[in-house]
Amino acid sequence: MRTDLARPELGLTPAQQRRRSAARRRAKRLIAHAFVYIVMTLLAFIFLLPIFWMVSTSLKLPQEIFAWPPDWIPANPQWGNYEEAFTKYPLARYMFNSAILVVANIVGGLVSVPVIAYGFARFDFPFKHVLFLLMLSTMMVPGHIKLIPLFWLYQRLGLIDTCWPLILPAFFGNPFFIFLMTQYMRTIPRELDDAARIDGAGSWGILIRILIPLCRPALTVVVVFTFVWVWNDFLEPIIFLRDYDSFPISVGLAFFQGRYSVEWNLFMGATLVSILPILIVYFFAQRHLIGGLASIGIKG
Amino acid sequence: MEYRSNRKLLVLFSLLALLLLSVGGAAAQDPVTITWWTLASAESPEPAIRAVVEAFEAEHPNIKVDVTIMAESAYGDLMNTALGAGEGAPDIAYFWESPWLPHTLDITDRLEADPDLSRDDYFEEYFNNWATWNDRVVGLPFTVGANFVMYNKDVFDEAGVDYPTADWTPWDYIEIAKALTDPDKRRWGGDRPRGPFRAIWRNIGATKPYSDDSATVEGYFNGPDSVAAYTWLWDLVDSGATPTPADIEVLGTEGTGPVDLFIAGRLGMATLNNGHMITAANAGVNFGVVPEPHVPGNERYVHAWALRASIWAGTEHPDEAYEFLSFWAGPEGQRINMEIGALMPSLPAVLEDYPDADSDYFQGFMGVLNGTQTAEWRASHPCWRGAVIRAVSDAWDLIMLGEIERDEVQATLDALVEPAQAALDDCVPRLGG
Repeated sequence: MRTDLARPELGLTPAQQRRRSAARRRAKRLIAHAFVYIVMTLLAFIFLLPIFWMVSTSLKLPQEIFAWPPDWIPANPQWGNYEEAFTKYPLARYMFNSAILVVANIVGGLVSVPVIAYGFARFDFPFKHVLFLLMLSTMMVPGHIKLIPLFWLYQRLGLIDTCWPLILPAFFGNPFFIFLMTQYMRTIPRELDDAARIDGAGSWGILIRILIPLCRPALTVVVVFTFVWVWNDFLEPIIFLRDYDSFPISVGLAFFQGRYSVEWNLFMGATLVSILPILIVYFFAQRHLIGGLASIGIKG
Repeated sequence: MEYRSNRKLLVLFSLLALLLLSVGGAAAQDPVTITWWTLASAESPEPAIRAVVEAFEAEHPNIKVDVTIMAESAYGDLMNTALGAGEGAPDIAYFWESPWLPHTLDITDRLEADPDLSRDDYFEEYFNNWATWNDRVVGLPFTVGANFVMYNKDVFDEAGVDYPTADWTPWDYIEIAKALTDPDKRRWGGDRPRGPFRAIWRNIGATKPYSDDSATVEGYFNGPDSVAAYTWLWDLVDSGATPTPADIEVLGTEGTGPVDLFIAGRLGMATLNNGHMITAANAGVNFGVVPEPHVPGNERYVHAWALRASIWAGTEHPDEAYEFLSFWAGPEGQRINMEIGALMPSLPAVLEDYPDADSDYFQGFMGVLNGTQTAEWRASHPCWRGAVIRAVSDAWDLIMLGEIERDEVQATLDALVEPAQAALDDCVPRLGG
């Protein structure tokens, strides 16, 4: 029995006591919320500082960029830097190329990953566990090691200087996504499959009508991660592409880093524009993304 | 009858047409396509590259050039992958890394037989140090690069310090740097060298890390001249007049030189190069150029380089590739890059037509080109960069970080002789010197 509840405060009726304790709780909650908001605001400010520096630098003259004391807001903003950045190199074209690669890779991932994961999650076949482990082990191989054999292979296939080396692999599944999707599918009750089968659905029908709609959080992870990885990928495009007009934006940005100096103001302006699509995608997908990752973590 | 004679005529004309077609086909062969990988830069921008191709193809209608224009930071990975795969490398490219040298085509005979181009057309030292390897001509030097000290005249004027002159010594450099340093403005007087045994090391007593015959480290790396050079570095670091390596990493364009800090007026002097010089000129900085300091009476050295433009040894079209190489890295190609971009050609006859040839900074740069190149020794002693420099890096790091006292420099170098000798002995059988 809690004795403090039985202790009456002097001169207060029980109703007044309840109101007072409620007011205290509200005040405590308010203080706690205020503290959390202040901390979050400070953290947001710290995390946004590099973006702010990027915006500020993109509007400066070269001699202002590293000047001391720094001018966070340039007195004479050089809006023309953006125009110069986009006319000096075909950045709009590069962004379009990146968008094509992103869409193609997402389509490839959405087609291949659920099918392969479905096989691992729902079917029994010889050497299933060995194959799954083999597939997982490919994640441990550093990408750089595969570059020369891949270059040799695509050279033999006559695919160098085409976008196929950057698209085709997505249609054969990504081990990381297959692992995620397999784990997610394993958490979906098999009874749903059985019920669908009783209703006349075949294996493909179960995958398309039952499992894929239920895997939306995991598929969001596939879409968003593919978007970010392909958009930012630098190494493979430089190895497999040759045509100046076919580069993605990640390679286009590298043109601002010259042999002897970096055009920081143009570079920052171009980078700022180039990260906008990622920010927009993340803004709209963050709820599904966080939910998807959390559910995979908990259920998997 | 008439019908039969017409048929005969038809057969005759058909045969004649076939004959003409076959002769014509042989005469008008398909043009050969050669591949060229290059970089877009301020010195050689994309329009200049396109103009070179256009001019070459106009002169050589039987050769087509398939050009790939890459970013600087992507080029090394691309070349390493293609050369590692053993196929897919370009017919012509920059082969600036030493490990790429065995993949270059020997063009000694082609250059000697060339009526329009000769090694004498190039700056002699640049050709010898950057276009030859193991007594073979493995490329042509494209553009010239050199280190020198750029000084910000406004900073000097503000501090009331006289501009440096070509006869200054390394110790003058420290004193001037101290006079220019202003902590309130976060301004340093000068930068630090970016490695040992470059120009200043050679200018203080022609210091070398080991003997010319690549046999002995003792007495060279820890000899009196080397100790004097490392002690000079200790004094410079101790002066507080230079940014730390961490400052440079964060605030400047690390690697080739802190040009960003120099342009911002936060470095009074900086050891930079002609690429930086153009950047500073375009940014409107009021600067001058002077050779790196040296000890009066000693030979003056300059840390200089060229881009090695070469033909891949695996090319299927060596003749056509040479035609293009000699055009691109010859007078015509380098002139196009100079006029459209800001290239400083490696051919004196072309460089003298440089658009800003009358400017003070260009004249200062030309004065630097006359120095003896540090590459003269370094190119013939690949074990220095290949192995020995790593074995002795502790001395550099300890001084840079202020971890040892001035009177400990000699002992620090002495302690590194043994590992340096071991590294040298291990390397010589592999790289030859």
